[in-house]
Amino acid sequence: MIKLKIDHKEIEVPEGTTILVAASMLGIEIPTLCHMQGVSVHPSCMVCTVKDIVSGKLFPSCAMPVLPNMDIITDSEDLISIRKEALELLLSDHAGDCEAPCRLSCPAFMDIPRMNRLIAEGNFEKALEVVRQEIALPLILGYVCPAPCEKACRRKPIDGTVSICLLKRSTATNPDIRSRKLDIPIQKSGKRIGIIGTGPAGLSAAFYLLRMGHECVLFDQQEEAGGALRYSIKEDILPREVLDAEIEVLRMMGASFVLNSKQTLRELGKANGSRFDALVLATGSQEQHTVDELIKSADGTTRTLNRKTYETRIEGVFACGSILRDQRMAVRAGAQGKAAALNVDRFLRGMPATQEDSLFNSSIGELKEEEYVEYLKESKVNNPVNPGKGFTAGYSPEEAMEEARRCMHCDCRKPVTCKLRNLSHLYKADKKRFAGPDRKHLLKSMQHELIIYEQEKCIKCGICIEIASKASEALGLSFIGRGFDVKVSVPFNKTTLEALKTSAIECANACPTGALATKLSEENDILTVI
Amino acid sequence: MKPEKEHILKIVDQIISRRGGAAEAAIPILQDIQVAFNYLPQEALEHVCKITGITPSVITGISTFYSQFRHQPAGEHIIRVCTGTACHVKGSGLVFDAFKRELGLEDQQETDENGQFTMEKVACLGCCTLAPVVKIDQTTYGHVQPEKVGEIIKDFLSRKDKGELPFTGNGHDSDIQGEIRIGLGSCCVASGSLEVKSEIERTLADTRINVNVKQVGCVGICNQVPILEIVKPGEEPAFYARIKPEEVKEVLLKHFKPVGFLNRLRNSFFNKFETVLDDGAPRSFRRYLSEQRDTPLSGFLGPQMAIATENRGIVKPCDIEEYKTSGGFLALEKCLKSLSPQEVIEEIKRSGLRGRGGAGFPTGIKWQLVHDQSSESKYIICNGDEGDPGAFMDRMLLESYPFRVIEGMLIAGYATRASHGIFYIRAEYPLAVERIREAMSLCKEKGIIGDSVLGSEFTFDLKIFEGAGAFVCGEETALIASIEGERGIPGMRPPYPAVNGLWGKPTLVNNTETFSLISWIIRNGADAFNSTGTEGSKGTKVFALAGKVNRGGLIEVPMGITLRKIVEEIGGGIAGNRKFKAVQIGGPSGGCIPASLYDLPIDYETLTSVGAMMGSGGLIVLDETDCMVDIAHYFLSFTQDQSCGKCTFCRIGTRRMLELLEKIRSGKGKPEDLDLLESLAKSTQVGSLCGLGKTAPNPVLSTLKYFRHEYEAHINGICPSGRCTPLLLYRVTDDCIGCTKCAQRCPADAIAYVPYEVHQIDTEKCIKCDICRQICPVDAIKVN
Repeated sequence: MIKLKIDHKEIEVPEGTTILVAASMLGIEIPTLCHMQGVSVHPSCMVCTVKDIVSGKLFPSCAMPVLPNMDIITDSEDLISIRKEALELLLSDHAGDCEAPCRLSCPAFMDIPRMNRLIAEGNFEKALEVVRQEIALPLILGYVCPAPCEKACRRKPIDGTVSICLLKRSTATNPDIRSRKLDIPIQKSGKRIGIIGTGPAGLSAAFYLLRMGHECVLFDQQEEAGGALRYSIKEDILPREVLDAEIEVLRMMGASFVLNSKQTLRELGKANGSRFDALVLATGSQEQHTVDELIKSADGTTRTLNRKTYETRIEGVFACGSILRDQRMAVRAGAQGKAAALNVDRFLRGMPATQEDSLFNSSIGELKEEEYVEYLKESKVNNPVNPGKGFTAGYSPEEAMEEARRCMHCDCRKPVTCKLRNLSHLYKADKKRFAGPDRKHLLKSMQHELIIYEQEKCIKCGICIEIASKASEALGLSFIGRGFDVKVSVPFNKTTLEALKTSAIECANACPTGALATKLSEENDILTVI
Repeated sequence: MKPEKEHILKIVDQIISRRGGAAEAAIPILQDIQVAFNYLPQEALEHVCKITGITPSVITGISTFYSQFRHQPAGEHIIRVCTGTACHVKGSGLVFDAFKRELGLEDQQETDENGQFTMEKVACLGCCTLAPVVKIDQTTYGHVQPEKVGEIIKDFLSRKDKGELPFTGNGHDSDIQGEIRIGLGSCCVASGSLEVKSEIERTLADTRINVNVKQVGCVGICNQVPILEIVKPGEEPAFYARIKPEEVKEVLLKHFKPVGFLNRLRNSFFNKFETVLDDGAPRSFRRYLSEQRDTPLSGFLGPQMAIATENRGIVKPCDIEEYKTSGGFLALEKCLKSLSPQEVIEEIKRSGLRGRGGAGFPTGIKWQLVHDQSSESKYIICNGDEGDPGAFMDRMLLESYPFRVIEGMLIAGYATRASHGIFYIRAEYPLAVERIREAMSLCKEKGIIGDSVLGSEFTFDLKIFEGAGAFVCGEETALIASIEGERGIPGMRPPYPAVNGLWGKPTLVNNTETFSLISWIIRNGADAFNSTGTEGSKGTKVFALAGKVNRGGLIEVPMGITLRKIVEEIGGGIAGNRKFKAVQIGGPSGGCIPASLYDLPIDYETLTSVGAMMGSGGLIVLDETDCMVDIAHYFLSFTQDQSCGKCTFCRIGTRRMLELLEKIRSGKGKPEDLDLLESLAKSTQVGSLCGLGKTAPNPVLSTLKYFRHEYEAHINGICPSGRCTPLLLYRVTDDCIGCTKCAQRCPADAIAYVPYEVHQIDTEKCIKCDICRQICPVDAIKVN
């Protein structure tokens, strides 16, 4: 048995135990990237570096055995900076997108490629679920959204953008699908929220609050709900039956509407304070003076709204949409409605407001000419599909499936489990700090029916090589070359299909990044913020 | 032309039947395949996997790791351009580019269209004093200038059919007049000692002069090679330096009388004839007497001290009887007969000897660790995987004193109770391998290696393992992986090889130089050794002195000697009346020591304290024309290229550092790049697993420490030493006589052909190959 200290705590462990294992016995978690239990090839990434304050030496905890009288520190400043730097170096040699450019340019951060893949399979119901993770009003937005996503689409310079906006609309056109799976919890929270304004921000806030089990009352001074969607957008662009149909969804979910409501906000806010557990102001830009009055700060001069958390000066009152700043895009107003709803929910549960921290994102920017070939491997090569019955009618399901197959799968297959991404987020790594002069040429190796290999995402840990070798693959994988140019590949220029006859899935699951991934993998529906 | 598949399979079958199919045979099998086909045909590799247990994954991993292996057929002849440090500072980069241009090779292309020549860069050919050096097959060209490459290729092609004469002495007659010693170390051979040797033979045959001709190992005075020593009974020995074949006859006739009247007459006539032509004073060789003071040679040898290189220039490398008469194997005998293993270890501990591989771990303690392991089988490995650009002391020791190294290993084996020894020798050292092999077989014959060493109960066998070209294999764990037939990837320590090494057994890995000091210590006693040197560093150290000194070569000096003494006394000062700027010591792991530390006594601790390192012992002297950013870039590009690719910091970090240096060197750097460079260098030092990565940033950090102003100057667009080509500007002065030579030779058509007018250089087109400046008859080309 060997006695040592880790983060000032004493522990006694058998000889040969690694520092990583000893630390975990003490409940101290050291981050790892290239390490996998039962695989011997580590250490290479140096993310699990710790320091012995007796000798002053740094070493990778996953491979370093404990020695008597070590005094290990696992989280000092210099270790954090070493880990961060190791990640930054790996990122400088990592060519790949965590998220597709379309999704990144969507103000609601909707998972467009995933929606496309589900549509391509004909699974419109699941596709709608994916859309509704971020967008409450897909049918309406399918008519009015200016679709910044389509401008970012990588297919655009090849043969025209994928018609994302129409595809999104196609998920919600079928009334049966639209009204199924509304995800209203049976157990209600018993909280009541007043939402003032029924434009895209208010409707969106209501949609998500209802899904969280709260009761919603929506007020509007107009005769009908819809706000700017009804009163600012021409009918030939957004047919009123479309607008009504999607507002109907909210009614089905249990929202109640108080229309022609002449009550001032002041009255609502003060007199009805006891009737509502929280208020959401989504009155649009025309009501700004009232808002000013309501949320005037103590010194009476500054309007203080926290634009990141949507809180106002008054506790329990939130604001979103054009009330904050004129919104040209309904999709952004809607996204704010969702974000405000999340903080209302936190407020109701006694938690402080947060701002949704965007996840670390690696991005390669524009594709190189040669890379189009690689990306087209992931899609059907055909020209853009035009809706046979015109834009207003939109796609038939068959047309939608055909169009969705044009999507090139620009997103990573492991956006949630990729350790490189998660650790880069945790350590706030700067992906550009060591960026080399040339980005590597991205390759997608697709020959295997089960997995895809994108070698430029590989961190050269060698886990897959060892797994394949243990599985007695006749060909297997190998390190090829050495130094900076080393890569993991198949011996004798053969294909991954020949290399991995039995262990492909195991290799893909073990890969700490998105370099090796199963073709059909769709990671968790909701991106969890770390 | 690719070989037939059936032929390939047949050859592979033969190789396997000779080598066996075990995992550790993989590298030797690949080496044999490459010898057979000059590259590794894929069919051959697949066949190996089919008939042995070696997997495709393993064979691919190995064959792409070691730089010796080629996967494409090579050309008929291989042109090796030395890019060692000494060659680099003398412009080997431009030479390499010139050859590529001459052969019409594109960026990544190595073999020319006709398949006649393949180009390779080599880390060091070990002829630093002839820098820049190019070797085409077995012919070495020294002092190569870019503008001469065309002539060199022509010369090579015109003489490639000439065979070399076998060298036989003429000394079996009774009336021996004396002895002629000629150095046949690699550097001597490279500078033409084989031709000199042939000429001696011819002259002796013609004149029937009867003398002993003896091939000796490296004399160390590499700046004066080929060197000839004439020893006559009753006379002081005479040295002839830089001797040319055409001068041989004259020299011999000065010392020895031809036999027979006619011959004497003919030779006297010749002598007269030549004297008339030459004013009796042959110009290119100088004559020095060994006892004379204040001559270049005695200055060179004076402050030196020979322990590892004892009897240098006197003993014939593979003459076991001579080794014995000069005290050889006495130490081994002493150990076997009168010392217990522990007593041997105590003696080594008391001597204060530290590992000469670079890190300086106390040798006695390492031996003790191995000794204390209870394992039945243990291994002794001689680390001869020297790959440092600009250091070749291991090669010299292996080539010149094979028995001494073997004796050191035997003593280590006895002391640690190990009975298996392995020589790990770089594949680029064929002569060393040959000499060790010959010495081993002689030792076996004489019962010095084998079941009963010198008739005792001690058993010891020896094997040679040829490395396949990977600098990182100098790292002991990587070296062991390589012997086991794997990629040379360093492993985690602990466990240390002393506890768990080759095949999981206790293993002692010592450097070649360390082993060559052992017999002297045992013979003369620990006190004789530790009375030399400093407090923490005892004895001597062998260095490869090169660069901008008047006299370079291999030197062995006492620890604690000052840099000034090495450069001024041994090296004869800076060449060309230039100013001393710095010494780069320790090769790619070392650092640059500035002129302000000229009086620094050299030992392990002082070097580390100034940011350098003993390393394997390269010592490159730099003058005012050397750019420190360029030097840092040079060493880092070497380590970057040699990184095994395991650790993030070494694999990617050194590359990013190199890119930053590239940026700075081309004048595109920003002030904040220096901080980024420094921060990354420090992280790479602590964040790498093995010595290569840990020390790779040293050349960068030490130059940043002592020469930061030079970095800053580059950021401002100026290379103060006029070295960094991207910052250079070539122009023609008014001295131009319009001879058009430059215009005719410019490979980039950057100079317009205007006879009798002042020429002009189009700076846009200029590739800065330096040819115009070299060929201008009136020095009218200037560089800013």
